[in-house]
Amino acid sequence: MRTKCNVLLLFFITLNLFAQDFKFGKISKEELTQKEYTQDPSAAAAVLFREVTINYNYVKNEGFMVETNVHERVKIYNADGFKFGTISESLYQSGNTAESLSGIKAFTYNLKDGKIVETKLSKNDIFNEEVNKYRLRKKFTMPNLQEGSVIEYQYKIQSPFSSNIDEIILQYDIPIVKQEIKVVIPEYYTFNERTKGYLMFDIKKSSLHGQINFTSNARTNRNTRVVSASKVSSSSLKYRNNVSSITMDNVPALKEEPFVNNMDNYRSALKFELQFTKFPNSTIETYTTSWEKVVKKIYDFEGFGGQLDKTRYFMDDLPIVLQGKVSEEEKTSAIYHFVKDRMHWNGMYGYTSDEGVKKAYDLKTGNIADINLILVGMLRAANLKANPVLISTRSNGVPLFPTMEGFNYVAASVIIGDGYVFLDATNKYTKPNLLPTRALNWSGRVVKENGTSTEFSLMPTLKSENTVLLSAEISNTGELEGKIRRSFVDYGAYTFRNNYDVLDEDTYLEKLEEQFGEIEISEYGIKNKLAVGKPVMENFAFYTEDLVEFIDDKIYISPLLWFSEEENPFKLEKRDYPIDFIYPRKNRYLITLKIPEGYRVEFLPEDMLLSLPENQGSFKYKLGVIGGKSLQIAVEEHINVAVFSSLNYPLLKEYYKTIVQKQLEKVVLSKTNDNGNTESATGGR
Amino acid sequence: MRLPLITICAILVLTSLYPQENSFQALALDPILTKNANAIVRLDEMKIDVASHKSITYTVKQVVTVLNKLGNSSARTQLYYDKEKKIKNIDILIYDQLGKEIKHIKRKDFQDLSTADGFSLYNDDRLLYHRYTPIQYPYTLEFTYEVESSDTGFFPPWYFISGYLVSVEKSHYEINFADETLKPEIKEYNLDGITYDKKETSNSILYSAENIPALKQEYLSPDFLDIVPRLKVRMKHFNLKGVDASVADWNDLGAWIDNELLKNRDDLTEETKMTVHELVKGTDDTLEKARIIYQYVQDNTRYISVQIGIGGWQPISAIDVDKVKYGDCKGLSNYTKALLKEVGVESYYVVVHAGNAKIDFDKDFSILQGNHAILAIPYNDEYYWVDCTSQVNPFGYIGDFTDDRDVLVVKPNGGEIVRTRSYLNGQNKQLTTASFKVSDKGTLTGEVEISTTGVQYSNRLHLENETTEDVVKYYKKFWHNINNLNIGSFNFLNDKNAISMKETVSLEANNYASTSQDRILFGLNPFNKIEHVPKRYRVRKRPFEILRGFLDIDEYEINIPSGYSIEALPATQNIKTEFGEYAMSIELKDGQIIRYNKSFALNAGTYPPEKYKEYRDFRKKVAKQENAKVVLTKNKVN
Repeated sequence: MRTKCNVLLLFFITLNLFAQDFKFGKISKEELTQKEYTQDPSAAAAVLFREVTINYNYVKNEGFMVETNVHERVKIYNADGFKFGTISESLYQSGNTAESLSGIKAFTYNLKDGKIVETKLSKNDIFNEEVNKYRLRKKFTMPNLQEGSVIEYQYKIQSPFSSNIDEIILQYDIPIVKQEIKVVIPEYYTFNERTKGYLMFDIKKSSLHGQINFTSNARTNRNTRVVSASKVSSSSLKYRNNVSSITMDNVPALKEEPFVNNMDNYRSALKFELQFTKFPNSTIETYTTSWEKVVKKIYDFEGFGGQLDKTRYFMDDLPIVLQGKVSEEEKTSAIYHFVKDRMHWNGMYGYTSDEGVKKAYDLKTGNIADINLILVGMLRAANLKANPVLISTRSNGVPLFPTMEGFNYVAASVIIGDGYVFLDATNKYTKPNLLPTRALNWSGRVVKENGTSTEFSLMPTLKSENTVLLSAEISNTGELEGKIRRSFVDYGAYTFRNNYDVLDEDTYLEKLEEQFGEIEISEYGIKNKLAVGKPVMENFAFYTEDLVEFIDDKIYISPLLWFSEEENPFKLEKRDYPIDFIYPRKNRYLITLKIPEGYRVEFLPEDMLLSLPENQGSFKYKLGVIGGKSLQIAVEEHINVAVFSSLNYPLLKEYYKTIVQKQLEKVVLSKTNDNGNTESATGGR
Repeated sequence: MRLPLITICAILVLTSLYPQENSFQALALDPILTKNANAIVRLDEMKIDVASHKSITYTVKQVVTVLNKLGNSSARTQLYYDKEKKIKNIDILIYDQLGKEIKHIKRKDFQDLSTADGFSLYNDDRLLYHRYTPIQYPYTLEFTYEVESSDTGFFPPWYFISGYLVSVEKSHYEINFADETLKPEIKEYNLDGITYDKKETSNSILYSAENIPALKQEYLSPDFLDIVPRLKVRMKHFNLKGVDASVADWNDLGAWIDNELLKNRDDLTEETKMTVHELVKGTDDTLEKARIIYQYVQDNTRYISVQIGIGGWQPISAIDVDKVKYGDCKGLSNYTKALLKEVGVESYYVVVHAGNAKIDFDKDFSILQGNHAILAIPYNDEYYWVDCTSQVNPFGYIGDFTDDRDVLVVKPNGGEIVRTRSYLNGQNKQLTTASFKVSDKGTLTGEVEISTTGVQYSNRLHLENETTEDVVKYYKKFWHNINNLNIGSFNFLNDKNAISMKETVSLEANNYASTSQDRILFGLNPFNKIEHVPKRYRVRKRPFEILRGFLDIDEYEINIPSGYSIEALPATQNIKTEFGEYAMSIELKDGQIIRYNKSFALNAGTYPPEKYKEYRDFRKKVAKQENAKVVLTKNKVN
């Protein structure tokens, strides 16, 4: 009888919390005639109401199951919103345990001749797709969708994975007019609530009674989800539920912006992170709560810490690798190169080994963890102070609260002298302290041998430098002929090698000519193409007809030729998210142009020196004329930080505007009567 | 003379070391095969046994030596299957450079995946897939499998080369059939470029070829399908997903589609019948009726792809589409056809190969093909083509998705090949008129009007439904060459009857002109610079195609600031070539207004490779002219 009471109580609360309009099926004409969402008229669709309720239900012999009930009512304003009429839920399965989705009820409502017409989703139009061994997908698309339709659906997801509550998304790509989220958790589970995103919301707390009735002998079960009870043929167990509720009105849509590393970093969401469980008659079992604990837990995994203890598999090779190596630097370098050359990344991420480092070592291929844990293992075996570094990649986002999913990558570190050196053997073109760009996402945690950890910044501080040296002659018919030397250092070289390593020269030159635009390239040579650690150096001769402009008797030249930045990359008025340059950089141009016979410099743009505040970047622009015969152009662009805060956006936009404006200025040459004898070399000033 | 000897010795030694695997060593590779190749197909072999018109078995062996990371995709490690197509066995062996086996991948090592294409709501095809990570280059991958299938409607065709940048050492295609009645028909395409061998007996056909060099992709090249040596193969009596067919020509195939796939799928509810009759009430003209029905379908349905079983070929019934108001191309075409029939308008279901490239159905070789369905409505001895998957296309407009190609029109008493309508040259027109002024501070202010027709119309069609924010973003991108651009107001006029779109935009840009001392310099054509210069080839190998051509006309009136006069104006230009024509003229009116007129016409056509340089030179000249600038100087005050 008591259970019924609970249900009643729950029912009352539900009634109190929700306005009647949002009862399933109670669609109003007003909702159907609505033409736009007044708060955001650009929205193609809006969620009028959303209700998500998560409960823990006790199932005999199974233990607690997590039941998620979803109810959503969505207004489609125009055809662009039709895509929100397709609903897809991904379900996890592992061996014989699987999440399941059931109870789909879905209707489309339209207004026809002033009357509300409903169309029901037929069971035949619900599709089950087995994506792979671990993922199932349930999908359906709403029938009879029209501009102006309102769709409504509800379903429930049952999950046996009771220690996990999926992240609850609170912000969609379309606005949400009203949403009610409720999570009801038995006292046996203690979760930490973590929120992310820019939106503000309150979480209300309350409690509810719960009861489990045991009608037959309850066996003691080691499964933590099963509550052990005394072996009486009939009994009941009362417990308390902790309830967290969120009500939000007018949640704005999350809108895409360019130059953002990962939009999902900014999406508002609520995450329940299990701290510990304490069931009657059993001891406390703790789960993750802090980054330290998350790391410790990862460390205790067989696929992580367990792999670091294995050494036998490389012991035959290690002495050969270390032969003649004395200093810590030499040893580190030798092992690093050995692992980088031997191992081939299979494209899979992860901080745990897939099938063990030994197998990976033998097969010479593995995931990120396989390769970098082998690296750490070998470094340690050589008595170096090496540790793994847990990382969240750029695509994984910036984890704002401690979870196991807050990491998806592992690199290596070694202490040499009193400094840290970071290593990653999964890309052929990295070097010590130059990690692949995918791993550059603010910081990482260095995990020590006892499982404790410390956070380190991984943002590159050294500038990657690209240099162009160019000397050419301008003919009096406007052709330009000359030579270029280019060099790429650090990330410049890394990018060059990753893009062009296997291209044959012909194909590369076609690409290069395409990149430059109007140019014909010959006598191409390259040094250190694949010699990691050294700069990539190219040199070639070029010829172009159409780079300088003739108007009347004057020649107009863009001093930076092909290298002029003639467009401001920042075009939008404002921006909410940081601007991500990935790594600090420096571009240097040194250009010498010989002036044709019979011409003199009539106008030379003024020199410029422009800096961003706090030494975040600078632009140096200097032009000169040597002996009246040659133009000399020296330009340096520095970006000294990897990421700019969005607060700096207006500044950065203005900065680029000025730089672009400067680069659009042209040198003007004009015909002389005295055959190039130019007294007034800087005549234009 | 010494070096080659040593090489030979080395090879001999290695050969004796690995006597069994020596055939797939990758030490001494023929330069003919390595040139331009990221991978070499050492052996591509398919042996097909035709047991009956609804049962074939094929055994495939592909041995590929991968030379570098770009060649990995040429070494296939996946195989599709479905209900009718069973994989009997599947196996991969990997060899190192010496030809020594280094890995064996067995059936259990393959993942069984859904082919969810991210596009269809549902698709019931599946695949077996193994992700192989190479641990050295070169390596050789040997992929063997055997498939048994009851689908003979899609008889495995043969490609002597599978793609660009891969060469083929040995290609072998063999069909064995139990008796003469099961002999498939074969049509050869583009075989003149290779040397091949063909053998035929009373119960077998065999094609083989050796040493086919790699093809390199070229800009504006004809489609791969039009250059690759390949065979199309069909059986006269075939079975498709359990449905039998007997087809000699397109007429038969059309009749089969009509009878087996379309028949009785055009029923409608009484209510819908009433609705459409109501819609066309008072309209007599069939074309006008068709227009109304098409609009009704556009307003009431949407495109959702669902591919199950023969549903890959058979439309969902009209009554079902009517119920859910969505469908794929087949379902929506069939539905529209049913509605048209109800109001007395005849229309035909059309199977087509859709896409930007114009791929024809071969008049002389009827075979199940195509990837899209549209409708043809006959009227006054011509066809109006409509694509029912589009919610925005005007009636009769198909854009560059299904234009100008041979397609199969399915009529009740048979099929026929018909060419769809084309959009060529002057039909794809863009007229840009603008009137703007440039101030002494260099600011540009003005109004631009752009009218587009033909395929240029479809590039603009989306603008109508965009939000203000996205329209502004679009123009900032479209006119990326104008810095500091601010979009003021804009307005769109979509004339669906004339099939033309007119955009009117007012705008402003600071610092458009560069100013220095007494001089102002600016480009005369801010709004439609044709600056593309095609890539240079040291040796152009294949012909190049301009698929549709277009005509752009720009007419501007530019006000210069008072107190300034023209120092220099670019000269009038007239460039005429067989590829197209460029004309630009500038005149000065009242000393204060510059009139800029330009027209650029590009002519559709296929041109021989020798002409490529000439074409590139033409585009170079045009690009240069497009940057034409004017210089103004301040009048001296006396």
